Amino acid sequence: MRAPAALVVALLLQACGSFPPNPSLERYVPKAGYSFGKLELGRHNTDELFVIVTFSGGGTRAAALAYGVMEELRATPIGRPGEGARLIDEVDVISSVSGGSFTAAYYALRGEKLFDEFPDLFLYRPIQSELLREMLLPSSWPKLAGASYGRSDLAAEFYDRELFRGATYAELIARKTRPFVVLNATDMTTGTPFPFLQDQFDMMCSDLAGVPLARAAAASSAFPGALTPLTFQNYAGSCEYRQPSWVQIAIDDTPLRLNARRRAVAENRLSLAAALEAKPARPYIHLTDGGVADNIGLRGPLDALSSPNHPWSVVQMMNNGPIDRLVVIAVNAATGAAVERDQSASVPGLIDTVVTAADVPLGNYSFDTVELLGKAALENARDARLVEQCNRLSAARGAQCALKLPSARKVDFYPVQVSFGYIASPEERAWFRGLPTTFELPAETVTRLRAVARRLLAEDPQFQKLLKDLRNPG
Amino acid sequence: MEYVLVTFPTDRFVYIDDEQNGRTNEVLRVDEGTHVFDLGPYANYRPGSRKVTVKDTTPLEPREIAFYRLEDE
Repeated sequence: MRAPAALVVALLLQACGSFPPNPSLERYVPKAGYSFGKLELGRHNTDELFVIVTFSGGGTRAAALAYGVMEELRATPIGRPGEGARLIDEVDVISSVSGGSFTAAYYALRGEKLFDEFPDLFLYRPIQSELLREMLLPSSWPKLAGASYGRSDLAAEFYDRELFRGATYAELIARKTRPFVVLNATDMTTGTPFPFLQDQFDMMCSDLAGVPLARAAAASSAFPGALTPLTFQNYAGSCEYRQPSWVQIAIDDTPLRLNARRRAVAENRLSLAAALEAKPARPYIHLTDGGVADNIGLRGPLDALSSPNHPWSVVQMMNNGPIDRLVVIAVNAATGAAVERDQSASVPGLIDTVVTAADVPLGNYSFDTVELLGKAALENARDARLVEQCNRLSAARGAQCALKLPSARKVDFYPVQVSFGYIASPEERAWFRGLPTTFELPAETVTRLRAVARRLLAEDPQFQKLLKDLRNPG
Repeated sequence: MEYVLVTFPTDRFVYIDDEQNGRTNEVLRVDEGTHVFDLGPYANYRPGSRKVTVKDTTPLEPREIAFYRLEDE
């Protein structure tokens, strides 16, 4: 009797789930794999107009808002009449978080088939109910009993089967053209953004090409509490990886108290590296929702706009000359604060207090992140104006006084914002800002989100200025 | 944003921290901190590279980083 019981236990343990490991990288090759520099310009895309789009978190609400923006970009003609160029053709980078990552990843994989396939496959589908049903299936229980397998692993399997159909990053590499789509999760230990790009996986000696898109989307949207973090294996020390030279230089700058952000990025890179005996100090990396580190998906692009050391540095592109116009479209599905608790004198409960303590700082951080975008645009305009004004003033005093100061290449910067906060009608604004964060919304709500995204983009003053400037260049 | 002007008698690519970043005798953008500047593989210049801490610049007063042609010496 003891032997069959042991056999049953052994079989059950075998059935217990374990996370599917990300593949190791045999040998590090700089700038290989899914990297910005490996992607070519698509048809009708130019470097003169460089467009970055960011999609925030917020479940289906965020995915639908992102989708509506893509619809509007597709419907916006640019260039000479008859050429057929549209603004969507000019999108170079998409950086996304959580719910927005589904729209981004699907566009990266299927291009404009997004518009035929994604609404039925995701936006109008009761994903949340289907996920819950999947978790309640008796066949899922043994897997979920595994210590290294969680609800997000099950969700990743669901997305892989139902949405991404087994696609890995190898398929994005094979597409060869922009946009470069960066799905962002959060490294639970460091609290920093974890972008799914080969530069990040190089440090872990892992080959992103073999990682399913579904796992990246699941990690990006592993909403804390409802979904579990996802585990990735860190093989650092096994592929002859070398950090770029600036990393040590940034660390060495510490006594000078210069550029704390650059140093923090360098320290974060080193946290993934091999420690003693070529073994990583952190052999497993646990990823949670990208919104924990940055719910707008804008931090990566802001770093790219300010540093030549970023894996897809826009500063480097500006120095090298091709960019005339830089557009950043931040699509933000943030909602407003619920006011129900203030209708009562009762002391708020523990859950309400804990959720508020977690949620409010994230909202404040998102506000600051969006503000940084505006500041970056202002700084760029102010610096360009300064040199122009000096040259103009000196020239006004006569040709012999003209200075002709050299200046950095001029780049016109358009920070565009799509956010419920810009809806004019207070009632309509309150309705959108009161939508829940869920992977299941009524069809009518999804349709309204798509429509309001298109309207908010078209109404944005910077977007209108961009279209005007594109119609009247120079 | 900080600004640098890498000077050299002729037009050459500029490398900042091993990455191609614009050309000589143009104002270039860089972030605050220490960076290594060089002019790339055709090493007819000196010094071979310059490690410079860039801070407190403006577009009107970029940090000048000079390289010299070996043939001129």
